[in-house]
Amino acid sequence: MIRFENVTKVYDQTARPALDSVNLEIDRGEFAFLVGASGSGKSTFLRLVLKEDRATSGAVYVAGQNVANISSWRVPRLRRGIGVVFQDFRLLPQKNVFANVAFAMQVIGKSRSIIRDTVPEVLKTVGLEGKEHRMPHELSGGEQQRVAIARAVVNRPGILLADEPTGNLDPTTSMGIMGVLDKINQNGTTVVMATHDDDIVNEMRKRVVELRNGIVIRDEARALYTSMMPVVGQSRRFKDASGRPDGSAADPGDGVASTQSGEEL
Amino acid sequence: MRLAFILSEIGSGLRRNLSMVVSVILVTFVSLTFVGAAGMLQLQINQMKGYWYDKVQVAIFLCGDGSTAAGCATGTATPEQQENLRTLLESPAVAQYINDFQFESKDDAYKHFKEQFSNSPIVDSVTPDQLPASFRINMKDPEKYQIISETFSSQPGVETVIDQRQVLERLFSVMNAASLVAVIIAGVMIVCAILLIATTIRLSAFSRRRETGIMRLVGASKTVIQLPFILEGVIAAVIGAALASGTLWAVAHFFLGEYMSKQYPDTAFISPAQTLILAPALLGLGATLAGISSLLTLRRYLRV
Repeated sequence: MIRFENVTKVYDQTARPALDSVNLEIDRGEFAFLVGASGSGKSTFLRLVLKEDRATSGAVYVAGQNVANISSWRVPRLRRGIGVVFQDFRLLPQKNVFANVAFAMQVIGKSRSIIRDTVPEVLKTVGLEGKEHRMPHELSGGEQQRVAIARAVVNRPGILLADEPTGNLDPTTSMGIMGVLDKINQNGTTVVMATHDDDIVNEMRKRVVELRNGIVIRDEARALYTSMMPVVGQSRRFKDASGRPDGSAADPGDGVASTQSGEEL
Repeated sequence: MRLAFILSEIGSGLRRNLSMVVSVILVTFVSLTFVGAAGMLQLQINQMKGYWYDKVQVAIFLCGDGSTAAGCATGTATPEQQENLRTLLESPAVAQYINDFQFESKDDAYKHFKEQFSNSPIVDSVTPDQLPASFRINMKDPEKYQIISETFSSQPGVETVIDQRQVLERLFSVMNAASLVAVIIAGVMIVCAILLIATTIRLSAFSRRRETGIMRLVGASKTVIQLPFILEGVIAAVIGAALASGTLWAVAHFFLGEYMSKQYPDTAFISPAQTLILAPALLGLGATLAGISSLLTLRRYLRV
């Protein structure tokens, strides 16, 4: 569904590349996490899939098509096949839940009757039945993200890209959102989710692609946020199996470490 | 569905940006009024030139019923007198100064008079008998008017010899200067209008960047994203152009038609209907300017 062949992306000639010779294939119906620190290239990866940017070298294939060969007139068609969800929801504040989701259908010219039928169905999928007429400010963060997900999938895209969708949410709400994404994935949509949230990754046990400095350093099926296998040739901070940094949770006796971790959290 | 959607987008854009839209309307209104004023002055010049102005320079009017000139002792010019004049015009002494000449009978004169004064009440009270017949002469060198005048003024059957250019030229040069000034002011105002439209569209695009961002992500076409903004500018400019056209019509109707034509009954003024031929030009100009400036602005400030 998404294939990167030797993709390099350089924003600034003087700096190191944002993506460096990335080879990656994500199959139809797969659920993949994209993990890595800020600046590791996760967002660049998503932007290249959407053709928001063009790769400096290499080829990006989306649904079998090299995006470099898609003319600017065809880009909207490409984007109709891809739903996107963000950390900051990006709902339209003056439209209610129904109108926010319907907006995505209106702008691509879907008829009123199809909209009337489809939107409630999708709202049901994301667990927002009966909240059609709420305004975004009347919803909790988790509910707002559900609206955003509904909007992203209402046109039945083959791919759903999620850029830290749980970044603004508490752990319980985040798990709810993951349930929704999982359900969408079960329905056949390929889901690629960039995240920092180790709990979620560890809970879901899906494919994990880890990027660092634009290089894929790990690609494991049914994996954890941090690898249990040491990566050869990479100097990396050790993390324990629970994903906590450097034993801070495992070693309550170390006062300095727990203070640091408290500040971090 | 898409049309309804675009229309509602335009509506919300116009409402959100009301003060800017009003200023666009006013600026295009004023600038196009100046453009139209220049056009109206040219129409008026054409109207005053009448049938003969561009074709001939000198007119020899023959005696009519009430003529009192010295050469009109015998009353209305007789056919013999006419023939004599024609022979004289064709004689080598005179013909060397002339390109050609035409005879305008009383009926022709009446026809041309009716055309020129079609907007004036005077046309109803004039009959062909009251208008003099004339020879209209196209000079090789208009400066040689004196020769013609001296040769023909004293001929029997000639009432008067007139160099029409001298009568109207000065007035026309004033009117041409006035229309040039109007065009210059219009030019400056149009630059204002273009910049203001660009700013308005930019503001509009900025205030709706959330919507356009989402439209882009869900795969709305370039047209659906851009059209509301372009039409917003075009609608405002067209309203301004319509106001300008209305103003020109009102000037022709109330000022020229009701006031000036009574003050100067012997001058031919343009009719209100004639100003309406300027309206499509003004509407087209307004829409084109707005369309182009919105499009250029969007290319810079709205990513699609």
